[in-house]
Amino acid sequence: MDIQIRPILVALRRHKAGTLLIALQIALTLAIVCNAFFIIHQRLANLSQASGVDEGDVFVIANYWADVNRSTEQVDAQVRADLIALRQLPAVLDTTPASGYPLRGGGWDNFVTMTPDQVKPTTDAAVYTGDEHFIDTLGLNLVAGRNFRPDEVTAMGTQQAITPSTAIVSKALAERLFPGGNALGKSFYAMGTTPSTIIGIVDPLHRQGVDSWSNSYAGQALIWPLRADDSKGIYYIVRARPGQLAAAMRDAPKALYAQNRMRIIDPKDGIQSYAEIRHRVYDSDRGMVILMSVISVVLLAITAAGIVGLTSFWVGQRRKQIGVRRALGARQRDILSYFLTENLLITGGGVLLGLLLAIGTNLWLMLRFASQPMPMVYLVVGVLLLLLLGQGAVFAPALRASRVPPVEATRSV
Amino acid sequence: MLKMTHLSKVYRTEVVETYALRDFNIDVKEGEFVAVTGPSGSGKTTFLTIAGLLETFTGGTYHLDNIEVSQLDDNARSKIRNEKIGFIFQAFNLIPDLNVFDNVEVPLRYRGMKAPERKERIMGALERVGLASRAKHYPAELSGGQQQRVAIARALAGSPRLLLADEPTGNLDTQMARGVMELLEEIHREGATIVMVTHDPELAARAQRNVHIIDGQVVDLAEDPRFHAHVVEARQGQGRS
Repeated sequence: MDIQIRPILVALRRHKAGTLLIALQIALTLAIVCNAFFIIHQRLANLSQASGVDEGDVFVIANYWADVNRSTEQVDAQVRADLIALRQLPAVLDTTPASGYPLRGGGWDNFVTMTPDQVKPTTDAAVYTGDEHFIDTLGLNLVAGRNFRPDEVTAMGTQQAITPSTAIVSKALAERLFPGGNALGKSFYAMGTTPSTIIGIVDPLHRQGVDSWSNSYAGQALIWPLRADDSKGIYYIVRARPGQLAAAMRDAPKALYAQNRMRIIDPKDGIQSYAEIRHRVYDSDRGMVILMSVISVVLLAITAAGIVGLTSFWVGQRRKQIGVRRALGARQRDILSYFLTENLLITGGGVLLGLLLAIGTNLWLMLRFASQPMPMVYLVVGVLLLLLLGQGAVFAPALRASRVPPVEATRSV
Repeated sequence: MLKMTHLSKVYRTEVVETYALRDFNIDVKEGEFVAVTGPSGSGKTTFLTIAGLLETFTGGTYHLDNIEVSQLDDNARSKIRNEKIGFIFQAFNLIPDLNVFDNVEVPLRYRGMKAPERKERIMGALERVGLASRAKHYPAELSGGQQQRVAIARALAGSPRLLLADEPTGNLDTQMARGVMELLEEIHREGATIVMVTHDPELAARAQRNVHIIDGQVVDLAEDPRFHAHVVEARQGQGRS
């Protein structure tokens, strides 16, 4: 096969408009599709991020108090009574009070420092509160140390800022605070001047937020042994016995209302299974994946159609010329190779420009939307995809061209 | 060099069969300059396209340079076209997107020839037709006569065994036509075998031998009544005008 690159380039120079338009279309498609693939992959990775929670059997009740003027002691008494009521349900295995939960979509975060007077924080961590049942209820994996003892759990009322002396942290946070070392027994500061000593390490434990800016801290979390007795309300995280999630979700609000009716549990979304929580919190990611996929497919289809259209037009326009080439000795595969090579050159040009545009677009997204730098692999995949798309799109018209008979050379136009 | 025996070419539709060539016999020896004449629709161009392996035939045999071509596949026919035949078309058939050099290079590239040899042959062929200085020009920048000379250079560059010319001066004025004809004669004197289809009796007269085709058959001009009928018809036509 004689690759006739120079004559093809010479000929293309005489068809500048069509060539440039297709090359530009390919460049734009590459720029957009590479970034779209990167975004899709990031968002899909988000969708499958581990929360650390044994999600199949766990649900959350958002419990709001009808009487917001109660004292911390009164609220704490009610919370403890509620916990007893819930734990007595046959379908419930365990439960814990909490100020937030993984994948909630936002919540309590604190800067973490190594010394009380440190100005610049070492890092940032999600803060969870719960009692000695928190780890078992969520099904967290305690990889080192121990759980909270009941005597370490204290009540914290509205507007109070209690820093417990003990904490359980996620492995990611432990490694960030004490790289390469054993964090157990070591202390950090997250609120005020009281140190918290790490008594246990869980892995993994996701933050409450899922926004892209906190991705680098996604696995950093700490748990304090507190019953956050806020006068407005509290979350009860409940673990159902295996296979009894529906029954537990049905019985739990009844048990709470039976205990005390002075509360509000939204009948629509006051009780959510973890499947619902995950689905809701990643709604925008899922939407973005669908949007970017549709944009990519449409763009690729339009580009392919453009290539098919232009090549078909050129084949029709050059029918006589193809006949002449055949008369002069071109085999069918020479004609096929001519059009495939021609497309490869146009697509190659478009792809080179597209690479610059793709990198430029990624830089803009990084500056404008705090996106991450796009790894090279997306550019490589994008380039290969566009080159294959070009060759695929041009194949049918090129095959038609190769079937133009040599006698076409003798026919008058 | 070129021998067709009882050759036929039939165009079939669902309802009718049309014989473009019927019991067609011709034998062109190596080094001959044969002019093929005949009225419009007589089968001259069909003969030329079959001779040049641009089309297949329906029956009979065709030997080109001692090769029986009827059983050859498309690749083999392309190879013979490329290596043994040089085409000169009435409409020149240069590729408008390529300059003179690149146009002459087309058949050499399909032969897989290396660039230095290609260049040498191209420049040799262009010098031969007096257009070496126009190598970078595009066809549209040349006169009709010059374009036909480029086409002749393209045909010559591959050193073909047979030159097939289809009305080579048909699109040229008298002076340009004379120049092109002189060039063909010169090429013939150097040993080339040329088969030229033409309407022009003056041009035909300059060939070594004339073959006349009427109704798809080669005829003996002296004896065939169809020839005389055509002559009468042609004369009447001239008289009317």
